[in-house]
Amino acid sequence: MTTTVAPEKVEAPERTWSGQSVPRKEDRRLVQGQGVFVDDVKRHGMGYLHFVRSPYAHAHISAIDVSQAEAMPGVYGTLTGEEVAALTDPFFQISSAPGANLKDYALAVGKVRYVGEPVVAVVAETRERARDASELVEVEYDPLPPVVDARRACDADTPVLHEEAEGNLMWHGVYEWGDLDGAFSEADRIVRIDELHFHRFNSTPLECDGALVEYNRGTGQWTIHTNNQFPGFAAIMMGPAMRCGLDKLRFVTQDIGGGFGNKITSHPQLVVCCLLARKLNRPVQWTEWRTDFHLSMSHGNERWFLDTEVAVKNDGTLLGFRTKALDDAGAWLRYEPLGGVIWAQVTPGMYRWRHVRVDFTQVATTKAPVSPNRGYSRLQHLWFTERVIDIVAHELDLDPVEVRKRNYIRAEEMPYETPNGCVYDSGDYARMLDVALDLIGYDEIAARRADAEARGKLLGVGIGSTLDSGTNNFGQSRLINPELQFSGNNEVATVKLDIFGEIVVTLGTTPQGQGHETTAAQVVADILRCSVDDVHVRAGHDSYWNSHAGFSGTYASQFAVTGLSAVKGATEMLAGEIKKLASAVLQCPVDGLELAEGTVRIRDNPEVALPFMACGAIVNANNAGLPEDLDVTLNCRYVYRPPFQVPDVERKFGNLTLTYAAQIHVAVVEIDPETGYYDIVDYAAVDDCGKRINPQIVEGQVMGAAAQALGAVVHEQYVYDEDGNLLTPNFYDYHVPHALDMPPLKTGYVEMPSPFTPLGTKGMGEGGGAGIHAVCAALQDALRGRGGAIVWDSANPYHRVWEMLQRPQEAGGRVTVADA
Amino acid sequence: MLLREVGYARPASLGEALETLAADDGARALAGGQTLVNVMKMRAGSPDVLVDLADLQELKGIELGADGTLDIGAMTTYTELIESSEARARPILGEVCAQIADVQVRNRGTVGGNACTNDPTNHLPPVFAALGAEFVVRGQGGERVVPAADFFLGVYMTAAAQDELLTRIRVPAGRRDGFAAVTLGVDGTCIVSAAAALNGGVSLAIGCVDAVPVRLEPESTDPEAVREAVRAAKLDPPSDVHASSDYRRHLAEVLAVRAVQQAEGRS
Amino acid sequence: MAAAEVANERAITVTVNGTRFERRVEARKLLIHFLRDDLDLTGSHVGCDTGNCGACSVIVDGTLLKSCMLLAVQADGASIETVEGLADGEELSKLQQAFNDHHALQCGYCTPGMLMSATALLRKNAHPSEEEIRKALQGNICRCTGYWNIFEAVKAAAE
Repeated sequence: MTTTVAPEKVEAPERTWSGQSVPRKEDRRLVQGQGVFVDDVKRHGMGYLHFVRSPYAHAHISAIDVSQAEAMPGVYGTLTGEEVAALTDPFFQISSAPGANLKDYALAVGKVRYVGEPVVAVVAETRERARDASELVEVEYDPLPPVVDARRACDADTPVLHEEAEGNLMWHGVYEWGDLDGAFSEADRIVRIDELHFHRFNSTPLECDGALVEYNRGTGQWTIHTNNQFPGFAAIMMGPAMRCGLDKLRFVTQDIGGGFGNKITSHPQLVVCCLLARKLNRPVQWTEWRTDFHLSMSHGNERWFLDTEVAVKNDGTLLGFRTKALDDAGAWLRYEPLGGVIWAQVTPGMYRWRHVRVDFTQVATTKAPVSPNRGYSRLQHLWFTERVIDIVAHELDLDPVEVRKRNYIRAEEMPYETPNGCVYDSGDYARMLDVALDLIGYDEIAARRADAEARGKLLGVGIGSTLDSGTNNFGQSRLINPELQFSGNNEVATVKLDIFGEIVVTLGTTPQGQGHETTAAQVVADILRCSVDDVHVRAGHDSYWNSHAGFSGTYASQFAVTGLSAVKGATEMLAGEIKKLASAVLQCPVDGLELAEGTVRIRDNPEVALPFMACGAIVNANNAGLPEDLDVTLNCRYVYRPPFQVPDVERKFGNLTLTYAAQIHVAVVEIDPETGYYDIVDYAAVDDCGKRINPQIVEGQVMGAAAQALGAVVHEQYVYDEDGNLLTPNFYDYHVPHALDMPPLKTGYVEMPSPFTPLGTKGMGEGGGAGIHAVCAALQDALRGRGGAIVWDSANPYHRVWEMLQRPQEAGGRVTVADA
Repeated sequence: MLLREVGYARPASLGEALETLAADDGARALAGGQTLVNVMKMRAGSPDVLVDLADLQELKGIELGADGTLDIGAMTTYTELIESSEARARPILGEVCAQIADVQVRNRGTVGGNACTNDPTNHLPPVFAALGAEFVVRGQGGERVVPAADFFLGVYMTAAAQDELLTRIRVPAGRRDGFAAVTLGVDGTCIVSAAAALNGGVSLAIGCVDAVPVRLEPESTDPEAVREAVRAAKLDPPSDVHASSDYRRHLAEVLAVRAVQQAEGRS
Repeated sequence: MAAAEVANERAITVTVNGTRFERRVEARKLLIHFLRDDLDLTGSHVGCDTGNCGACSVIVDGTLLKSCMLLAVQADGASIETVEGLADGEELSKLQQAFNDHHALQCGYCTPGMLMSATALLRKNAHPSEEEIRKALQGNICRCTGYWNIFEAVKAAAE
């Protein structure tokens, strides 16, 4: 396999640090096992927490008896839903009615609504003892029928999960832009696709959720050591519920073992830890085990696209589409229903169609609550647009490469305003596709197909093109609920010179492997004209550092824009202050000064210089005689605010994300037609994330996203039986890719800087799931000659491929093509 | 992830081990632990006492007899078998062991444990069944030799009772063997497996389709004859999240043919 | 013939990275929890509960194994190597340095286990092929990197 990025040795400041693959600062501690992950944190006397979880998908709780558990030696105490309901208010709901009416508490109150829902918490002196004691907690349930099929959730006779919502409908909205009637009458053909289904899975970060919470009785403050990746959101949810000010919730993270969006909604469990830390007057430690995570945490949105109609010209020009999206939110709306609008960041995908209608419904079912999973909501929608492209090409017997190129938004059209007012900043999709096709030797595909056939295999090639929209405008939440008071976005960084001139940076972000310490140091070193080794970036996040704001965290593909722009801003402030100080001390105008080699010096007389150490010392310890009006602290805090407007709620129109990274992948598969088993025999991934601060880190993100997408399309599924039991509750049955499963990988890149960001970067960590789209397309291509089944589900394990071979019409998607 | 309280014993000899098992009907043998410890982590099964077989020399080592029979200690790890020069007398054994999970599991997991756990998806029961292995079972009352056909009794159940130990597995001489499986990912859990041995007739065993390996004797190695034998068995495999009953039934035919072809391909 | 002694709790002695420890443990305590909670060696990690992920991989008496499937009492008298023992003082091992050079880690959670598995491989096979590297790392799940850079790092360390 080849990658584009080789390790580099760091170089002198004639080149900028940005653009170099500087080896990561984080690595030294991580390769020695010296990272501090939440379960590594210990406190004297801490109690270990174990949750008693519901064994039923749907049931009334008629009685809870904790007395036997509490009597067990070594048990410190318990917490029940009844106590939670007395001590806290229900969590704020993002949704408008009916979802707004949900009463969501940190433990189940009166009812359980999914298998694995936390019901009681037990705290004991050892992990094992807490687990033992949990078996002595007696909960009496009156089971109710489960709700496992979202398509039936709103039927008249389907049981209702939340009486307050009067039904299982959580949110509904219709999005329509352009002229649908016009498009459909202008069309030559109408392609109808009955049903497309995006399945339920998530990214299973290797480290599960966890926390260690301490309560300071004297000040009323909680210190929450946790691996929650969006503390800004957690605080906003927890404070009002716990009836305390947000400054009473101090979030501390250092190393996080993967997040991928799946560590955003742990706030209910964190509230339990907080209440128990206060009740028991001791620190409370919670480790989530793998099975707990699979049962209860952050499943990705499962979404149907029903009754899709696509208006197409004979030459393959796509005019528009309409579809009904049905989203299965699971039992609670924790970050939902934002998924109901976030897809609209990429309404047309990479394509130029102008007439779109999406009728979006979100329902509740007795499954784990859904919340962001890598690619969140755009993932589902972009898979849909790619399926549409591929199916249209298939049905009209057109070349899928040509159809894409005909319909891709073109580089010269950028910045491009989509039908709903989002602005794609830059991108050259056709060129990226060419690079990807070249990497897998597309010109020789016919020969490879023949060779595979000679070996009894079916070969297929598939393209997955996708966008990674990054840096959200939270004003899009008003399209879900016009009464919400959120908009824009922000991120914070601080940069200071310490007394001895040490450069210290704090970030508001919560990295889970994206290398923030390293890339932030690169940006700082470029501005201060010093070495990356001289820049000390504090590891992790701590709200005591005051380097956070309402939206602080690491999610939604934004660090390279929000985090690094905050770093840039703070560092430029610092650079300005250093020069102002030097101007006063060296008696030289500011514009005659430059920063170089860790000093500030007179450009025309470089011998006259103040090292940073001197600057730090003067301001902090030796400041007598400085001009009274010298406004310099050398401790700079900057809040980056991307340029957003509040969207037009009526028209559902406006820019929802600042940047649009892109990835185009091509997969080559070989199916064994006797078994349905298939191999990915070749794979190429091409990305554009604007200016690459650290190419090796960027490529690492592309690789990781590709691997997760391959896992999702081939193996990974959260499957429920008709009783609401999760059949894949651990890594034994939920198979994720291992080393031997990985295909050969070729990577390439195109760099189209964003005109909208201070550094020209685009956030790109999520990726967009191109691997899922590419493999679906490749399978469909391989099956062309054997019944021509349409791939209609994003999950394609071997048995499904076999079924598509056996019964292409029944097991494949139903598509009809009519003349317009 | 957190076990219930349990007693632990580490007998120095086979006799001591049998005595310890007999003393408590909640006592269970601990071999490699690659299955049992996981079962205990989930609290799906919680023995009262674990009898660690680690020090029992009688259960170790592989001997190759003059007649080509292999005498394999039950506590032989997969890695030991793969690396054993004696075991190369019957290559299929090492080849199949090398497909089990990963290095860490192979370094601890044992062939005896694989057989005695008799999870329908385990690799070795169908192999032992096809090869006609014999299982030496020792209890306080003495020793008996159980042929494979009588050893695998049900899901997680074998002829070795709670107070007995499988000590040795005897594999007859032979080289024309094959194994084919569709697994959950490379070297993953079997979805369906098939083992074949051509030692005179055609000896076939299908795994993952019933509580125990299904033994078949097709009339010939001809693919149609093999398929016919599988069809005649009227398999009723389980459906689960990885495969429907129909799919397993279909795979059984395909993999049986492939296992036989692989066996035929060896000299 | 008498039965062996059965105990719910034992005193055990282990040597970890050259240091001897004597502790009393419950028989039910897994080795991974003993290392992390009793000995404060938090470099080895827990990523699953079914023995699949390998984040807990350590070397016991020269054998690579997953410490979540061994009881601490089973390791009585054993010599254990964990990630904390790989570096030589301030100097990273060749493998650790290669991981850094080749961006073979992102969040770092699987990394200790990966390093132990790679260390065990290179002791047995000084010049492994990519296929042999994949086979050796098959028991270690990574969700961040897609493994490709890890293969490169091990290859580089083997040179």
